[in-house]
Amino acid sequence: MAVRVPQNSIGHWVIRALWVAAVAAFVLYIPTRTETGTIGDMTVAIEFAIAAISLNLVLGYTGIISLGHSAFFGVGMFTTAVMVDRYGWSQGWTFFIAFAVAFIVGCLVSLPALRLTGIYLALVTLALAVLFPTLMKWNKLEWLTGGSRGITGIGYEDVPTWPLLGELKGRDGRAVFLYWLGIVLLVVTYAIARGIVKSRAGRSLVAIRDNEIAASVMGVHTARTKTLIFGISAGMCALAGSLSAIRLDAANPDVPTVTLIGSITFLLMMILGGTATLWGPIIGALLFVVIDTRTREAGASGTGVINKVFNDWMNFTTSPAGFILAVIILVMIFVAPFGVVGLLRRLASKLVVIVPRPAGTPAAAGDVLAPAAAAEVVEGAGADAVVVSGDAND
Amino acid sequence: MDKFFEALFIGLSNGAIYALVALALVVVFRGTGALNFAQGEMATLSAFIVWLLNNAGVPLVLALLLGMVFGFVIGALTEITIVRPLERKSPLAVFVATIALFLGINAFTTGVWGAPPDEAIDSLFPNEPDSYLSLLGTTWRYTSIGALAVTLVVSFLLFLLFQKTRFGLAMRGVASNAESARLVGIPTGRVLAGSWGIAGALGALAATLVAGVNLQVTPTMMFTIFVYATAAATLGGLDSPGGAVVGGLAIGVIEAQAATWSTEWVGQDMKLGVALLCILVVLLVRPAGLFGTSKVVRV
Repeated sequence: MAVRVPQNSIGHWVIRALWVAAVAAFVLYIPTRTETGTIGDMTVAIEFAIAAISLNLVLGYTGIISLGHSAFFGVGMFTTAVMVDRYGWSQGWTFFIAFAVAFIVGCLVSLPALRLTGIYLALVTLALAVLFPTLMKWNKLEWLTGGSRGITGIGYEDVPTWPLLGELKGRDGRAVFLYWLGIVLLVVTYAIARGIVKSRAGRSLVAIRDNEIAASVMGVHTARTKTLIFGISAGMCALAGSLSAIRLDAANPDVPTVTLIGSITFLLMMILGGTATLWGPIIGALLFVVIDTRTREAGASGTGVINKVFNDWMNFTTSPAGFILAVIILVMIFVAPFGVVGLLRRLASKLVVIVPRPAGTPAAAGDVLAPAAAAEVVEGAGADAVVVSGDAND
Repeated sequence: MDKFFEALFIGLSNGAIYALVALALVVVFRGTGALNFAQGEMATLSAFIVWLLNNAGVPLVLALLLGMVFGFVIGALTEITIVRPLERKSPLAVFVATIALFLGINAFTTGVWGAPPDEAIDSLFPNEPDSYLSLLGTTWRYTSIGALAVTLVVSFLLFLLFQKTRFGLAMRGVASNAESARLVGIPTGRVLAGSWGIAGALGALAATLVAGVNLQVTPTMMFTIFVYATAAATLGGLDSPGGAVVGGLAIGVIEAQAATWSTEWVGQDMKLGVALLCILVVLLVRPAGLFGTSKVVRV
């Protein structure tokens, strides 16, 4: 029998404090106790997490299928590269302009999106994803983008000194600094996403996803909402691209994350973590990077099951992480369409149930017993709505 | 005028390949109402099977037929094991599943065959330096003529299948109304698995033709072709097989002409951009495509 904890009671605050402490401990553990390689991998995970969060806003919450987020990632990457290399900006300031440029591009792309639905929208965004690298290599744009060679030399030579971090030097120092820069960006993106989702705007997104006509009848300005959310999502994804450009010290149209494969990876890691949940994209990105590094280590070590299956039997010459991710997703759509976070939430609800305060009661009446059914209504009530029952109105 | 005919012919032979893949997409879409994003990758996998068989000493034509059987089997299996159970849940689940298949097959082919040496394969048609036809002031290579001829023959065979056989009648029945089709005793399951299978076989054929033109099989060879094929299917109408053929040839010719007449702006690089512009214009002006039926939704 699950323990019932009233919402906002002392017990609930203890649970929340434990969560925050656990996350903070993990965030602090990485740069202080692990090697430079691991810190770098975690920075990659942060990039993926930001991209997946941005995709989650449009696909998870609003139900707009986008395969074009690799292009927005690329917009961020190239904006940073151009501003640093051509105009001599400092790296940190390019995040703002990257967000702005991608926001405008996203709003423009979403204009046809207002007239199209479902599969047709997927086609247009697919086209965008495929077009982006080609556009960057186009000879008419070579003066700006550097053609197929791209732009190099945009990372930090000496990282700036931040109050809490102290003096950071050399390769290790750069890795630690980029990690913290990534954490700041991730916190900002998470906060924006959470702010949108938990507000009136977030409820109109879910309304559009579940039944667009009903939403517009209820007074949601669907065209404006869809355009704005697409723009914001594109801007967020560009932040990840900017970070990636600084980490890689280069912007190149052949980096996998700015090609269609990037879009697909963002999408699948979001599904893996849990669609329409705030933590899902972060967990999904982390899991993917863990799978990726583990399989690479297994391949290098020459032992273990992964190595036996992929290197000895199948003769893989690249990381099998994409293949493993695809297989996991194919299994998961059947057994756990709500993703890892949804699965954990279901397990946790067997232990602890947060009982929400009935609507209309004052905050003081914390531990009023509510019907158990209402207990399910925690953050992201539509966690599995997208995959399981996305089209109930068909 | 020479330039015009040259571009026209290059366009037609490239367009023939797009048309084949577009046909595969349309056959699936008519039956299931889903777009198979993994169609191109399934085709690549089948082409690798053809290469494996051919390398093991099987004659190329026989290897192609076996490859098409393989394509048919993976197509049908996908429908039976993945699409059918998921369709009841939601269309988005089917979309995610085809995307996952795309990544999985792509990662598999890249992992196994991505590194050098190249997987060299012969063309299905004579491909010597002198195997071409001089016509209208340009050279028309047999490989290109072959691709066009194969597409036209296959389209005609599919037309016969759709219009003249019991299976085709059943397919049209399922396409127009799956529920009613089931009620009048059409084995919808078998029809849908068959449609996915036919699409898989078409993909295998197209990929082998592409490999024959490039003289090698590569894991990414169907990437852009898949995008062109979606452009073709959109142009012709996602539920119209005739439209897919016309759309494929049209996209091929349009991009070739654009590349020829505007070498500076379009050239070989931005051909893709032209095709994508086509998709966008068609979707905004006439979302159902040239020959497709527009869908009326009851609110």
